[in-house]
Amino acid sequence: MHHSKAHIWFVWPAIILMIVILILPIFLAGGISFTNYNLGNSSFEWVGTENYEKMFSRKTYIKMIISTATYVLIVVPVSVVLGLVAAIMLNSLRFGADIYKTIFFLPVMATLLAMAIAWEFTLHPTLGIINSFLANGCGGIREFILGFHWLPWVSSEDSWYSVACANNMDFPYWLKDKKTAIWTICFIGVWQAFGFNMVLYLAGLTSIPRELYNAAEMDGAQSTWEQFKLVTWPMLGPTTLFVVTITTIRSFQVFDTIEILTKGGPAKTTYVMMYAIFEKAIQQNITSIGAAITVVFIIFIILLTFFQRYVIEKRVHY
Amino acid sequence: MGTIFLKNINKSFGSTEVLKQLSLDIQDGEFLTLVGPSGCGKSTLLKIIAGLEQQNSGDVIIDDKNVNSTRASKRDLAMVFQSYALYPHLTVRKNLETPLKLRDYSFVERLPLIGNFVPSRKEKKKSIDDLVFKTSETLKITELLDRKPGQLSGGQRQRAALGRAMVREPVAFLMDEPLSNLDAALRVHMRSELSELHNSLKTTFIYVTHDQAEALTMSTRMAVMIDGELLQLDTPSEVYNNPSSLRVAEFVGSPKINTFAAQISSDGSVEFMGIKLERKFNTNSQKALVAVRPEHLEITKDSNKPAFEATVSYRENLGSDIFYHVQVDQSESKIIVRGSPQAGLISNGETVRISPSHAEAMLFETSGERIR
Repeated sequence: MHHSKAHIWFVWPAIILMIVILILPIFLAGGISFTNYNLGNSSFEWVGTENYEKMFSRKTYIKMIISTATYVLIVVPVSVVLGLVAAIMLNSLRFGADIYKTIFFLPVMATLLAMAIAWEFTLHPTLGIINSFLANGCGGIREFILGFHWLPWVSSEDSWYSVACANNMDFPYWLKDKKTAIWTICFIGVWQAFGFNMVLYLAGLTSIPRELYNAAEMDGAQSTWEQFKLVTWPMLGPTTLFVVTITTIRSFQVFDTIEILTKGGPAKTTYVMMYAIFEKAIQQNITSIGAAITVVFIIFIILLTFFQRYVIEKRVHY
Repeated sequence: MGTIFLKNINKSFGSTEVLKQLSLDIQDGEFLTLVGPSGCGKSTLLKIIAGLEQQNSGDVIIDDKNVNSTRASKRDLAMVFQSYALYPHLTVRKNLETPLKLRDYSFVERLPLIGNFVPSRKEKKKSIDDLVFKTSETLKITELLDRKPGQLSGGQRQRAALGRAMVREPVAFLMDEPLSNLDAALRVHMRSELSELHNSLKTTFIYVTHDQAEALTMSTRMAVMIDGELLQLDTPSEVYNNPSSLRVAEFVGSPKINTFAAQISSDGSVEFMGIKLERKFNTNSQKALVAVRPEHLEITKDSNKPAFEATVSYRENLGSDIFYHVQVDQSESKIIVRGSPQAGLISNGETVRISPSHAEAMLFETSGERIR
């Protein structure tokens, strides 16, 4: 029997392209991470795991891991839950839903770069509208509401608002303060991501058959919560899996807000992985360290994907 | 008890009127079918009974209690949906348990972890397990209990949906075209099973279908609905043999009933296709329609019988019966005649003499009302 070899000829261009463009760079980064190579150098030496040892011993890189983890662990759950809540609320609207959809989706459509500049002005410690809004509210209703004076256990002298007012308008410095910077960045991350999650959830919600809700009602599921538990949440399983995966990967990749607003500071509290790679490999031209961070970054993403593939997917009904 | 009264129900979606002043009286333990062509409002009516849809006006009274403002889950009815609407992420067992748990467990007992520590839950769980097992035995789905709906065939899903409706003892079962997603053989089989189930449960069944064969075979009474109106409510044989209007006569019966234009003379005698009916009718109209079912038309060779001539244009052989589509004149529409296979096949294009059975011919006004 004659075997044609023609199929190899059809396949090899694609395979070679795939190797050169997709697989080789990753192995190259892996290789470089074990050297002291810098871009432009004519030679390099193998340094073993030195780059990795630096990463896990130096404070800067510990801070990098902490800020990245904080960002991911805040932005993912909050933006997913907010997206779901917004989608369910919009889905129950009879009219006006399109307007809300557009408004919530605006941050997704707008370039984060432009938005980040807007946020920079808004959050400026002395010139920003947030702090001037707070400063003008001293002693008024704003102080009462935002200072939580309406809660029985908050005394009106000791609330953060009153203290700030008393200390010559000492309101948070937001992005310039190492206590608040990462939380402010997280807030912007949620603001940016939840509209996208909402749109994905809206698509998921429309695909749930109406009859299932009718069946739940006939079976005695009376409260909205029971119906949500019995029908909505399980039926949204695949959507949730997708939303969580996408949001996690995007959160790991957060870069533009950091680059514009904080440059990783103050005191490296917002020094996330993507920014670290950029700073080391591009700005300081220490390619080998940049490669090592990249490898750790890829390992995180791969671990996450495996977790999703083998743990969560088993619990999701399709 | 399972009596349901509907009083002057009106329902419209926007400007489309779906149900017009519909009243219906369903007795305890009967198998009532709501039958009508698609879009006649029968499913909407069922949803109004269930409480899933709110009527614009009129009353729904279940067991002598007005339930207009009672929500669906409190009406104690069970429903089988056309798409079965099983919870796809739960096993058949969990699907059957759901209505029991939602009704019998208190809020605390339903909580995921804490619920396990409430002592009363254990007993309830036992009784729920027993009920689920009993129901699954009745429906012969015990070995399917641990599968998910996606792993079941159409017929098995249908049984599971039936099981979910049956586990608790509702006032009445509402079924929305439950057999329409099954293949023909299974549908015929399930017809008899549903009838048996009704006989053993003795609960009120309200069954919506567009298939008049299902209505004729299963129901104790059938309600024929067309365009949002209830045209006739009677036993299947009465609806078939004695329809109240031409629309009912045309909807019930397959193949469709044949109609002929007829002239009525002043003494009440009726003549159509050159044949004079033996009976006389009491009416003032001069023109009317005579309707004769295909089985009441006979292909005859006897030249003494009053008959008309027609040409066979198409033959439908169903094995037990043969239906001939015949053309009377160029102008007339086609007529369907039942012939028996024993009489031998008549080929297309042959001219035959057709004689109607006088006793079975029905007379209708041109507007559709029956003349008796």
